[in-house]
Amino acid sequence: MKKVCVLSGKGGVGKSSIAASLAVLLSERKKIVCADCDVDASNLSLALGVDENRTEKRKIATGKKAFIDKKKCVSCGTCKKTCYFGAINEKGSEFSVSQLKCEGCGACALACPQGAIEMRECENAELSVGKTRQGFIVVSAQLKMGESGSGKVVAEVKRETEKHAGESELMVIDSAAGIGCPVIASVTGSDFVVAVTEPSPSALSDLERVLGVVEHFGIPFGIVINKHDLNPAFTQKIEEFAGEKNAKVLAKIPYDRSFVDALVELKPVIEFKPETRVFFEEIAEKAGL
Amino acid sequence: MKRIAVTGGKGGTGKSTIATALAVELGKRHRVLLADADADCPNDHLILGIERKEIAVVKQRVVKINDSKCTGCGKCASVCAYNAIAMVSGKPLVLEKMCSGCGACALACPENAVEWKEKEVGRIFEGKGKGISLLSGELKIGEPVSELVVKKLNELIKEKEKEFDYVIVDTAAGTHCDVISALEGSGFAIAVAEPTPLGAHDLGLILELLHVLEVKGSVFLNRSGIGKDELVEKICSDKKTKIIARMPYSKKIMESYSAGKPVEHESIEKTAGLVE
Repeated sequence: MKKVCVLSGKGGVGKSSIAASLAVLLSERKKIVCADCDVDASNLSLALGVDENRTEKRKIATGKKAFIDKKKCVSCGTCKKTCYFGAINEKGSEFSVSQLKCEGCGACALACPQGAIEMRECENAELSVGKTRQGFIVVSAQLKMGESGSGKVVAEVKRETEKHAGESELMVIDSAAGIGCPVIASVTGSDFVVAVTEPSPSALSDLERVLGVVEHFGIPFGIVINKHDLNPAFTQKIEEFAGEKNAKVLAKIPYDRSFVDALVELKPVIEFKPETRVFFEEIAEKAGL
Repeated sequence: MKRIAVTGGKGGTGKSTIATALAVELGKRHRVLLADADADCPNDHLILGIERKEIAVVKQRVVKINDSKCTGCGKCASVCAYNAIAMVSGKPLVLEKMCSGCGACALACPENAVEWKEKEVGRIFEGKGKGISLLSGELKIGEPVSELVVKKLNELIKEKEKEFDYVIVDTAAGTHCDVISALEGSGFAIAVAEPTPLGAHDLGLILELLHVLEVKGSVFLNRSGIGKDELVEKICSDKKTKIIARMPYSKKIMESYSAGKPVEHESIEKTAGLVE
């Protein structure tokens, strides 16, 4: 199964809208599955208009946290000295673990001379498996508030999507914003990257940074310039940048309020305004999907 | 000094636009430090046209195995929660990008063969312009842990905060560790939201996070009128959070943003007034 990852570096440039409509188009041609890897703010299911009530949900645990057994603890403070993340609080002679800061590395448990620290699995995300009106599966997850480890949750989303893939020929992945651990986890193992940007100094700077990560993994990519007519001079800069990188500009999409109106109606823009179909056909063709 | 965070959950709702505009507005009357804590994609200097110079390198310790002491027992690999040590033909191989520096392997190693070295994970820059000072964190490309850069940024803010009346912290998108670190120590947070179902959904998440962190939150409704303002209004009333200002959607504001100019609008003046 081929994997295509849609990402952007900068948020709000239209990544999930484009991923949703591209998925709908491709689902008409072949069997596909979708993975929403933005586990901080998962939006792909919303953009695809997946029915919340027909979505299966379950809690998952991708990490552990430290717990101090107060009966065994002799308040020696070794755990506090050991913790590299500053996650052990000291109040009087009582030591406790900050659940927000604990990374689950287990160093304190190894260091404790009393064996008073236990590492327990903790549920840190909710995984959802939904079906679109077009009949393909979308897997997403929402990280529990204040929990760390979004990279591991992203990996779990991709594993779950694989499970539901059956005979699918293609997995469409919607990445998180940024360039850090959830993005690295989203892009790993992809065969092609669709990088969405818009003509602004911020978006280009963010695109350059996220493509640095993509190049690091040696994955081929193409660029979609959304809202290209807002700043034609800057659009030209992005095209020059694509040329330098030997990357195809997959499509140039003009600014269109229908993208927002479609979101409000919880419909992919390709359904909401069929005239936009040409852009997604162009992306699919140039990206060889 | 008052520390105010500008955040939002969803990417692209206008966090940096509002943070830079608010900082410039407050800078007309006060000493203001703007801290760009979106270490993945720092953009405030681009929006403000501020030239930055590097002032610090952010480093993290990573494991180095002393081959002359290592017996290849594999205990280090078995305790590593990050899968950063792989046993390859009987010897541990450290995957430096995955190593968090936690030290569990060093505690587990019976031979004292685990040693440390430092790797660069990011840089901090500073600059001045438009009547304010700027600190900006930048994650090294390919490094996963943006939070380390934000933590360093927090240290530098602490060192400098006496020189300022207001510190405005512009956070990354999302709700995970780097955002949490950026929100820590802020007495007040402004969540920038857009009136779409996605915007409302993600606003709900960030307001929940503010609640968990016990940071007082308020909402700046950006691109008012583009979708359905009621969506954001409903979340705000559910979460008992005030909408402090609204900036309407206009193609003119979009174009000014696209050209890299700080936005001027009465909603920014109103927000600055409320902050004061």
